[in-house]
Amino acid sequence: MKKFKRKGKVVVSRLDSYEVELLESLVQQLVEMVSEGEPQNFTTQPESDDPFEMWARDLQADPDEPEASEDPVLQRLFPNAYPHDPDAASDFRRFTEHDLKVRKISEAQLVLQRLQDTDRGAHDVRIPLDEADQWLRTLTSVRLAVATRLGITDAESADELAELPEDDPRAFMVSVYDWLGFAQETLVTAL
Amino acid sequence: MSEPDGPTVTPAGGTAVAERPAEEVLAQTPWVTLVWDDPVNLMSYVAHVFTTYFSYPKSKAQRLMLQVHTEGKAVVSSGSREEMERDVKAMHEYGLWATLDKADQ
Repeated sequence: MKKFKRKGKVVVSRLDSYEVELLESLVQQLVEMVSEGEPQNFTTQPESDDPFEMWARDLQADPDEPEASEDPVLQRLFPNAYPHDPDAASDFRRFTEHDLKVRKISEAQLVLQRLQDTDRGAHDVRIPLDEADQWLRTLTSVRLAVATRLGITDAESADELAELPEDDPRAFMVSVYDWLGFAQETLVTAL
Repeated sequence: MSEPDGPTVTPAGGTAVAERPAEEVLAQTPWVTLVWDDPVNLMSYVAHVFTTYFSYPKSKAQRLMLQVHTEGKAVVSSGSREEMERDVKAMHEYGLWATLDKADQ
């Protein structure tokens, strides 16, 4: 892929077909993971005028005691806001997590749409400036997911992976992680 | 209907209170939003988040980003608990590792 470059009110890059497929696959996995396989439960619905309908929806969407996930990726995507106060942490989760998931999923779907617009890399990927943050947040979520799976927990483990021999089974994922970092870095600097 | 005996109750004497009582102000302990260092988020991105979300000037965003990077964490905003929950939620949207805490801790 080429660096993202700003052209007026859009940021543009060219991806090869395999890069488009790779990114699509990673973003789709993110949607599956965040929605626990049920993205239809996290669509953005128009606000209803009927308060009872709203309450019914909230009650349906939010379990009474949302537990922190045991999946380390989800733990990283939805961090504990109150590490010293389990009750407050649980309340915070209850009031924010559904919203956060809806947002991550709708932003991921926007990215998938823009990737589809490239017709498998035949055309440039074009990101309007007002969608740049949606892209940056989605790339971040994907990078966090890949990094967690690779066991990147601190600067030392990150450095260690940077020096893997080529025949290491993790080498491919590490190259994907580096590629995502390149995409994100050039997108931020293009803004 | 019976008329109550005793002193007549006048409709709320006095006028509206212009200032909040002191104890109410004291109860509003300031809170802070903390952003913690992580090995994944790029320095350029973290600075971008601070300029975009908080509308901080580039120099302040850069300084806070470096503080997160070198000291492991930084206070990026302060205010009421409700405001800080909003900021922490926004940081989580951006994928930063943020928590909130009372200002004096």
